[in-house]
Amino acid sequence: MGRSLWWWRIALLALPLGVYGAFVVFPLLSSFAYSATDWNGFARDFNVLGIGNFRALARDALFAGAMKNTVIWTAAAIILPNGMGFLLALVLERRVHGASIFKSIFYLPVCLSAVVVGQIWIWIYRPDWGVLNTMLGALGLPQGQRAWLAEPGTALYAIIAAWTWQQTGLSMVIYLSGLTNVPHDLLEAAQLDGARYWGRLRYVVLPMLKPATIVVVALSVINSLKGFDIVYIMTGGGPFHASDTLAMLMYDESFKRYRMGYGAAISVVLFLITLAVITIYFRQLRKLEELTL
Amino acid sequence: MNAAATQATAPARAALLAALAVLALLFMIPIIGVVLSSLKGTTEIVAGRLWSVTTGFTLENFAEVLGQRRIYVYLLNTLLVTVPASSVSIALGTLAGYVFAKLPFRGASPVFIVVVAGMFFPAQVLLVPLFRMFLFMRLLNTLWPMIIVHTALGVPICTLLTRNFFAAVPNTLREAAILDGASELQVLLRVILPVSLPALAVLATLQFTWIWNDFLWPLIFTQSDNRRTIMLGIVSMKGQYSVAWGVQGAMSLLATVPTLFVFLRFQRYFIHGMTMGAVKG
Repeated sequence: MGRSLWWWRIALLALPLGVYGAFVVFPLLSSFAYSATDWNGFARDFNVLGIGNFRALARDALFAGAMKNTVIWTAAAIILPNGMGFLLALVLERRVHGASIFKSIFYLPVCLSAVVVGQIWIWIYRPDWGVLNTMLGALGLPQGQRAWLAEPGTALYAIIAAWTWQQTGLSMVIYLSGLTNVPHDLLEAAQLDGARYWGRLRYVVLPMLKPATIVVVALSVINSLKGFDIVYIMTGGGPFHASDTLAMLMYDESFKRYRMGYGAAISVVLFLITLAVITIYFRQLRKLEELTL
Repeated sequence: MNAAATQATAPARAALLAALAVLALLFMIPIIGVVLSSLKGTTEIVAGRLWSVTTGFTLENFAEVLGQRRIYVYLLNTLLVTVPASSVSIALGTLAGYVFAKLPFRGASPVFIVVVAGMFFPAQVLLVPLFRMFLFMRLLNTLWPMIIVHTALGVPICTLLTRNFFAAVPNTLREAAILDGASELQVLLRVILPVSLPALAVLATLQFTWIWNDFLWPLIFTQSDNRRTIMLGIVSMKGQYSVAWGVQGAMSLLATVPTLFVFLRFQRYFIHGMTMGAVKG
């Protein structure tokens, strides 16, 4: 019996683990090997540089800029979509008229591809007939009008706004599912005066939402580190690398400048940051006994 | 609730509802804008009449896009990648999920964590090695790298969701079937899977949407136009229609229709599945 169970485990796991190992784990580990070379993407030969690429990274102003932008992006991604998603969840959890329609509207952008979201927001930011400049003009603030994606000072924040629009719905549904664990009368503000409601929110509801908060924060950080598609579509990291993220710079170095060894070094940095984040995440979840392995 | 309380809160509720409605409208503006643009000519848009809902409607943009042979090539390529990669990754995840849920073994936890961790890493950490691997296999500029990579990258989420779902199926069902002489594979196919259809629906929706919307892998693995998928295709077609805003809007909408259809069809499962995957992950 025990022997045949082992046979079944191996037989059932062979294919999934084989495919995953060959095309995810193996390439991931070999990134470390590539990061020690100056391979250009096509040549048969390359030189082994050891930690040369990492020394160069430490002096690379573009890398420092991309790192700074990734940190700004991550901080904004933790605060904006999650804050809005949390408030929306609090409101929509109560029996508001048409709650399910509102939920669908706020969730809809999550289903759109980065290509389409990028396209939509490029239009919003267009200097000539873009909605944003049109609205500023209509409000009598023409001095606020600018080429949002073409100016180094605004490009990154313009992308972050588009990102916030797309991600809010995701935080909202995670908080909504967290709120289903909170007894409904604890959330009902209608019978309470304001002070009692806020006190209850602060000391009873928020602690119960800790697991959901850990999840949305971790997802925000992880998705920020993945931030590539929308940057590529909206600015390509420009102008003058003002909106580069680590993922964007990694692509540029590897597939625009054909410095694959150098690109692999950036990917190793990305890997280590992500590893640190998910280690903390799994620890926190396990502490809460949410993760029963 | 007594009458006084109801009276006191009615204006508050109305204000809340109004605030929600305004926010929802703001959220919808980008989408409404694209829909309107797809129905209007370029001159109309440039003249600032994009937001006018009374004049200048036309279906020419859609006629223009649907008259392009390339768009069908893109759509076909996307289907040829999305359908096999979704189904195979779900099948593989189901096998692994069954073992982790019903045949646990000493040392299963670390293996499971390594498998699930795969969904958290940016694709960038795999770009260079996979590019070189497929270069050596002479598969660049075919659909194979996309099918293979999406299948492999789907294993973590499919394993996680099926394991969580299967774990909730009572063990006694499996034990009874085993006593009746069924093999583990028969238990999985005839006992577990028939009660796990919601989980499979969630996975099908997630995988279909992610792979359909993907942009990075076709960007890396394809060079020629007739190998492009729809998302890369509409970006490259933007050059041809660089100032034909309405045509660009129509392309975006057409590329979104399949995922929108799947989303609306499985909306309930979808939202639930996102949270299930995220919260348990």
